[in-house]
Amino acid sequence: MLYNNNKIALVDCNSFYVSCERLFNPSINKKPVIVLSSNDGCVISRSTEAKSLGIKMGEPYFKVKKIVKENDVKTFSTNFALYGDISRRVMKTLKQFSPKMEIYSIDEAFLDLSSIKNENLLEHGYKIRETVLKWTGIPTSIGIASTKTLSKAANYVAKKEVSGVINLINLKKINNFLSGIKINDVWGVGRQLTKFYIKNGINTAYDLKEMHNSWIKKNTNVFGSRTAMELRGFACLSLEPHAEKRKNCCVSRSFGSKVTKLEDLNEAITTHCLNAAEKIRLDKQTVKKITVFIKTSPFQMGNNYYANSKDVDLPIGTSDSIALIKKALTALESIYKKGYKYQKTGIIFSGLKNDSIYSKNLFSEINNDEKRIKLMQAIDHTNTRYGRNALSIAQAGVRKKWNVKKQYASKIDTACLCFLPTVKIS
Amino acid sequence: MKLLLPFHLQKVGAGFPSPATDYVEDDIDLNAHLIKNIPSTFLIRVQGKSMNEVGIHNDDLLVVDRSLNPKNFSTVVANVNEELIVKTLIKEKNQSFLTAGSKEIKDKINLSENPEITIWGVVTYVIHAL
Repeated sequence: MLYNNNKIALVDCNSFYVSCERLFNPSINKKPVIVLSSNDGCVISRSTEAKSLGIKMGEPYFKVKKIVKENDVKTFSTNFALYGDISRRVMKTLKQFSPKMEIYSIDEAFLDLSSIKNENLLEHGYKIRETVLKWTGIPTSIGIASTKTLSKAANYVAKKEVSGVINLINLKKINNFLSGIKINDVWGVGRQLTKFYIKNGINTAYDLKEMHNSWIKKNTNVFGSRTAMELRGFACLSLEPHAEKRKNCCVSRSFGSKVTKLEDLNEAITTHCLNAAEKIRLDKQTVKKITVFIKTSPFQMGNNYYANSKDVDLPIGTSDSIALIKKALTALESIYKKGYKYQKTGIIFSGLKNDSIYSKNLFSEINNDEKRIKLMQAIDHTNTRYGRNALSIAQAGVRKKWNVKKQYASKIDTACLCFLPTVKIS
Repeated sequence: MKLLLPFHLQKVGAGFPSPATDYVEDDIDLNAHLIKNIPSTFLIRVQGKSMNEVGIHNDDLLVVDRSLNPKNFSTVVANVNEELIVKTLIKEKNQSFLTAGSKEIKDKINLSENPEITIWGVVTYVIHAL
């Protein structure tokens, strides 16, 4: 733990998915815009205009449909191909402002600005913001402080400022600043903890900062005292430039319409396995255990509700799509029951290990032979070059009747020749 | 997107162990040639009409760099009337205009009179199939 000279900037993209949609579609600038989660379920990104209409984050789409209709709110389904590419561009742009950077999520990154002189920090923040906007078209907000938690708090306020940058380093009135931040807006304070704090008279970030450490330790957990320490300017969380490799990999989807047939579930599970296997091969990992699960909607009452899952331990770790699919389908068949309307299915790959040593096992049906490994490499290579699912497995289905609803998706992908944005000449 | 072409300095004959192997230079990387600034460069497809004066045709691919500042006679992508449109930027006596590529005055848009119009990026290359 250091009481420190760290200078950490949290750069956060404003209404990121909406901003991505606006990049190639200027007709929705300055208008209320929302982006819906997969299956067009909930609102997951809102423009400022949509926020001021009272549309809340995470609200189910059907609940806001009336506001949407009355105010002509432009609505989009997710287009993660586009958001992913724009995110990579934002991160690459940020990278040149600091040698040490932690990509925290698709639209947020911590930058280490310790080499910048205090008096130049604000200016540097403006420069970062201006460059990201010019290069990628994405507006951002920046909070600069001595710890991650404080930079989050600074960012929270920066979002509401026209300048878009807040610097807390050497700020004399830091206590005033923290009094203006509600306890539930402090990074790391969840819903349960908020309730507990408020009950005990802790209403703002400042209140938590001033609370005695022994009380916090006794009444919360290690995370609670860590947050308080960070608010006091003691760094407990360091920048983590290298993402840790994942320990498991879950792919699941709700269906666009209710699914009853085993063959449709087979298609879905096969597709999920292909996606997950591709991800773990990219990370150079192998799988030791597969979990397959299916469930009907929780709103199906009584006898109509069914949910089950099945674990399969593999004799050796593998990343071979074909072997994984075979195992997963057998597991699916063992838990499938006729007569139910399934709403969701998915797989979890666990026991992920580095693939540097491919295990061999003479007596196992999976043996990671050279040919199979090469086939997988060829599939991945082809799909990277010609787009997802250029090469697939027939079992994954072509029509994918069960696939998610994406009624309002923009069909732009800046990283794929077939779906590039277009311009006109006049 | 990755495309590498081996660049041979001499024609290669068949049958005989190639004496040209020693002359194979580094692969040509068209991406490196066409894209100077990766995060700010976008490929955009032209839809509809052509702009013959500048050599841009329907269905061409434009390499557009957002990080560049347009110069006089730069071809740019501009946000005009809520649409992205290809234009030529002309600077005259401290004023900037957008034109459709021709030098005729009638289609000029004066940028200082239309502050809502913004430059989206500068076109650096056109990729045209023959």
